[in-house]
Amino acid sequence: MGTIRRAYLYVTRKKGKSVLLFFILLIMATFVLTGLSVEKVSQAEQKKLREALGGEFYITVEFSESNPYFRETNDGEGNVELWTELPITQDVIDAVMSIDGMKSYDAETKTFVSTALDVFPGNVPMKAEFNNLVYARTVADTENSSFFQSGIAKLIEGNHITGNESNVAVISKDLAEANSLGLGSFISLQADRTVDVRVIGIYEILKPDSPLANIVTYEKAENQIFTDINTLQDLFGDKPAGFDSVAFTVYDPAQLDSIISKVNGLSSVDWRAFAVTTNNQTYLDAAAPLQKLQALMSSIIWVIALVSAVILSLILTMWGRSRIHETGVLLSLGIGKTRIIGQYLTEALMIAVIAFGCSYFTSSAVAGQFASGLLQQNISVSDEQAAGVAITQKDGFSKDVVVSIKDDSDLSDMPSGQDTAPEVEVSIDGAEADREQISVKIDFCNMLQLYLIGMTVIILSVGISSLSVMRLKPHKILSKMS
Amino acid sequence: MAVLEMKEICYAYEKGRPILSNVTTEFEAGKMYAILGSSGSGKTTLLSLIGGLDIPQKGEILFDSEDIAQRGLACHRSSHVSLIFQSYNLIDYMTPMENVALTAKKDALPMLLRLGLTAEEAKRNVMKLSGGQQQRVAIARALASDTPVILADEPTGNLDEDTAGEITGILKESAHGLNKCVIVVTHSNELAAQADIILKLKRGSLCPV
Repeated sequence: MGTIRRAYLYVTRKKGKSVLLFFILLIMATFVLTGLSVEKVSQAEQKKLREALGGEFYITVEFSESNPYFRETNDGEGNVELWTELPITQDVIDAVMSIDGMKSYDAETKTFVSTALDVFPGNVPMKAEFNNLVYARTVADTENSSFFQSGIAKLIEGNHITGNESNVAVISKDLAEANSLGLGSFISLQADRTVDVRVIGIYEILKPDSPLANIVTYEKAENQIFTDINTLQDLFGDKPAGFDSVAFTVYDPAQLDSIISKVNGLSSVDWRAFAVTTNNQTYLDAAAPLQKLQALMSSIIWVIALVSAVILSLILTMWGRSRIHETGVLLSLGIGKTRIIGQYLTEALMIAVIAFGCSYFTSSAVAGQFASGLLQQNISVSDEQAAGVAITQKDGFSKDVVVSIKDDSDLSDMPSGQDTAPEVEVSIDGAEADREQISVKIDFCNMLQLYLIGMTVIILSVGISSLSVMRLKPHKILSKMS
Repeated sequence: MAVLEMKEICYAYEKGRPILSNVTTEFEAGKMYAILGSSGSGKTTLLSLIGGLDIPQKGEILFDSEDIAQRGLACHRSSHVSLIFQSYNLIDYMTPMENVALTAKKDALPMLLRLGLTAEEAKRNVMKLSGGQQQRVAIARALASDTPVILADEPTGNLDEDTAGEITGILKESAHGLNKCVIVVTHSNELAAQADIILKLKRGSLCPV
């Protein structure tokens, strides 16, 4: 009679022990599988969160004495002009964008220009000489600039500036109407020199400035004039034209540090002229509960596996002692120790295969609530720690989790100059604005891991439990038996 | 020709107090041997050594002129000898057929039927059989394994007189009819009287009676 047949007979005839072992393994498998699936979901959600939130770093012109290209011009009347001989050029941007993991960039320079246009006055009093000053916002690409990307404004007529144009502008609908301008109209902008720019696009303001906010004239959204880099060059003549700051976005904020080190290693860029600053705090704050959950799950899996191995070893050792008679008989019949241990192992594995399979259903039933409960606990801790980031869970035990940025402090440093922080809400299930559910699904990979962990625990337990009996000689076993 | 030989076998559970001392003897096929001895004289120890359940501290046991330790004791137990115990030593969760099938090189059912069990009894849980039936199952298991040597340790010790007589007959028949070497360790003079050769174990030595 073969080992498997003997194991099958034992499992089917000793129903009480088999059922008990089945439930022990089922409980163990449910815990392990729940841990594995929740750990995997938290990993996946972190990845989605990273992709949704992205990570940013900024390259800005270093306006300090440490920059050898830094210049300070004083006209003797109290007006000080700070500028650099080495601004951020498209070559610098292209070099940075060639690094793996870079997603997009938003380059901008804000320059005060005088204009003859009727502008919308702000509610902060200024000297009369500043009343006709507006921002000429030089961007590489208006469509991807934060002003348009964040939903403050939307192009409603004409085209965006793409970087290939020369002496063009995109203005607000309000400014166009107030000055009877349309597509193709020319407006004059004056800095060191006067440049006529052609209006190629008109935008509509979707999120107007708050009437309660203190806003100076040149900051008003209606007065923003977007221009191309060539216009900037023409406005300042011999001074080199470029961007003061560029916000770079990376796909994965977890890679931010390695990308930054590559950026700093770019030999084609003279880094004495620029400063690099990072911003992945939003991601770190938002991901903290998920990271804690993942770490907790990893620990739980190890603890469960260890505890299971100990409990299983004790039970099997106990049962092994009660089977000393059987072991002795089998040995006396010439059945080798390896085959006897093989039988005990097969018995446990037969029950384990069924128990592990059933744990799919038990784990599916509890994993979601388990994850929600743990996540909720982590959120309540992280919520207090997170600056400007709130992660809330809807409807008590429902699985909807929303990450929202409720404070604009993180956004105030953005070079876009947007004054009103948008209410950004990111579901952890992706970049969609919809609130998505965090659902814990047990997949094939989880099951495979469970089987691997479970089989290892069982092999260890059977091995440990068999040691005491298998060290004895058959004669001694039979003597003990009698 | 001797199928089994013991050469100067020594064994002691405690140092200086040997239970077997230079035991040398031969066992032939087709004969039934009875080994008599008082309690604690070393009968079961001797049987354990012949059965490959233990190894002697000195001397060697040869099967077909080859040292059993050389080929491995597990191999010896599975291929050369079959053991029958006083307490039957059946696997409690198996039927008689399954117990016999553990080592059977032949069909289990005909063997059980030959030894007096019915087909229905052969499929019942072994623990639900009487002592005599269980010992028949144990003998059937030994015979079905088709080994040349059958070792029986007090095979009738737990049985009534009639059943003991039947079991003795079966063992004798195995030796004479199936040409097996049957070695029986017993207290029973009645059983010993049925053997072809009677040996007595006394003070560690084995002597013919």
